[in-house]
Amino acid sequence: MENGPCYSLLHLLALLSLLSIFLSHLSRFHVLADSHFEGFDADGEDDDESLIHNTLPLRSSPLTQSDPDPEPTPDPTSQDPDANQYSEPPSRPSSSSDLPKPSSTSFEYWDEDEFEGLPVEQPPLETPKIPENATPDDPSSDPKTAPKPIAATSPKSYTVEIVCGSFLIVFAINYFTGKRENENIALAWAVKFASKDSIFDKNFSLLGVGDGDDSPLLLKEGQNVFKFHASGRRYCQGLLATMELKSRHDLISRMYNLVVPCSDEISFEVYMNDDAMDHLVFAVAKKKAAKWMQKEIRDLQRFANMVSPPSGRKWVAEELAVISESKEVAGDLITEVVLEQVFGEKAFEKFGKGFISIHFSDQQPGTHKKMLLFKFALPDANSMADMTRLVALVPYYIDLVGRYRLSTQARSKTEITRMKIAQEAHREEQNARQEALQRKKAERKKLLEEAESKLGAEAIKRKEAKERARQMKKSMPRVKMTRAH
Amino acid sequence: MSSHGNSSTANDPRQPSAAKPFVQQSVAPQDLPVDYSGFIAVMFGVAGVMFRYKLCSWVAIIFCAQSLANMRNFETDLKQVSMAMMFAVMGLVTNYLGPRPPKTT
Repeated sequence: MENGPCYSLLHLLALLSLLSIFLSHLSRFHVLADSHFEGFDADGEDDDESLIHNTLPLRSSPLTQSDPDPEPTPDPTSQDPDANQYSEPPSRPSSSSDLPKPSSTSFEYWDEDEFEGLPVEQPPLETPKIPENATPDDPSSDPKTAPKPIAATSPKSYTVEIVCGSFLIVFAINYFTGKRENENIALAWAVKFASKDSIFDKNFSLLGVGDGDDSPLLLKEGQNVFKFHASGRRYCQGLLATMELKSRHDLISRMYNLVVPCSDEISFEVYMNDDAMDHLVFAVAKKKAAKWMQKEIRDLQRFANMVSPPSGRKWVAEELAVISESKEVAGDLITEVVLEQVFGEKAFEKFGKGFISIHFSDQQPGTHKKMLLFKFALPDANSMADMTRLVALVPYYIDLVGRYRLSTQARSKTEITRMKIAQEAHREEQNARQEALQRKKAERKKLLEEAESKLGAEAIKRKEAKERARQMKKSMPRVKMTRAH
Repeated sequence: MSSHGNSSTANDPRQPSAAKPFVQQSVAPQDLPVDYSGFIAVMFGVAGVMFRYKLCSWVAIIFCAQSLANMRNFETDLKQVSMAMMFAVMGLVTNYLGPRPPKTT
């Protein structure tokens, strides 16, 4: 992949930074541990007491239960044994019993300390306060970085974590439900139109995306894209149906689709045989879409125009527009049957809701030139039967287009236009090839010049001498020589 | 239109001899649709690390989740998605366990 080296570098960077973070984390703990010893070896009793107040309640309660244990600590004379005590934390409970009972004064002192330190849970909160006050620049920078205001005494707010965590949980739940919903829609369509004795089974001999009889019908290409393949019919090489459903599995896309409307679509691509399709460029869509298609799609743009409804015969519903090379072709392809079933005024009201567009062309851009494209909107899983008439258009039009032959007049017209456009395309190709060749030559010249300029002056002289010699040789008459035995 | 559904062999449009098996078109990696959510996840992850914004790191994780959900081809997309995930997780770790503990936790 092109991004490979960049990603590997970033990978390394990420690992290195992770390592550094963990190392600094470890060192921070180390510093804290040292402070105990520092505080105990500190000069003033106050430091001892403050640290004792802080550290002792923070430590486990067994400490406070064993009274004699912390007693020696306020006594400055007994620093050494206490130092020993603190240097061996695991042996604290045992050492407490070994130590002799102190005097009553220290006992009372400890009692006061005990009642001071214990009930009020403020020491743990006071500890963050103390370093906060000590370093006044930190709180000032904190409001800048932390967007949420945090009061030291109020309970810590976990709003960001709660909100984001719950969003992630909802996202995960929605992923599974959305995935299942999409699969249900796809399966409902397949059951209705691709299973045994369905319309595609009656029209195509090979259904599905695998080999053999038991091949799976649908190919899942992502949580919202499903493909269905059918082959083995006259006039065409095969049919590929692609279902593009809404991204129900993705919560963010779902929220986006609440604002920007989206619908489930199915598009059929029928690959016609070369001998089965005459010169045809034809499209039907709703008016706005038809205008867009006529401007954007290349073959419609080049070959076809909008066709106004002819007088004297029934035509498609008002909302639809027809694009075609000639009126004759349009009239021939929009038959009575089709008008009655789908495209006529009455029929379209009832059955045409799911219709998006059809586009037949023998000049499609891409690998397959002769293709029929149908695009319909998918109804929800329970009302698949609404689409029956639309899906029935597919085999009908395969046969109609497969059998249709243009009249000689229309044929000649189409031939002329296609010749012109083919010539233009040829010319463009030639121009493009020439430009590419010229570019290559120019690049080669540049390289040579650069190489020459890099060499020293002597080398240039030598080269020039060589070239002159070569030219002299060329201009002189060629004299043949043979070897004498 | 319904006449083609008849089972009479004369009208049977099927041609088993002409059946072609399905050939999946392989898409070149360059033509794949751009993974916007993965890209946004990396952006937010980097922003979260640089500016120490917890919200940025969480949003990066969310976009990573979206990129994972939209992953189409398991093998080719997993590398990019995992790259974005590493950034987002790194951002989160930096924010919570970083050398300068944030006062919020």
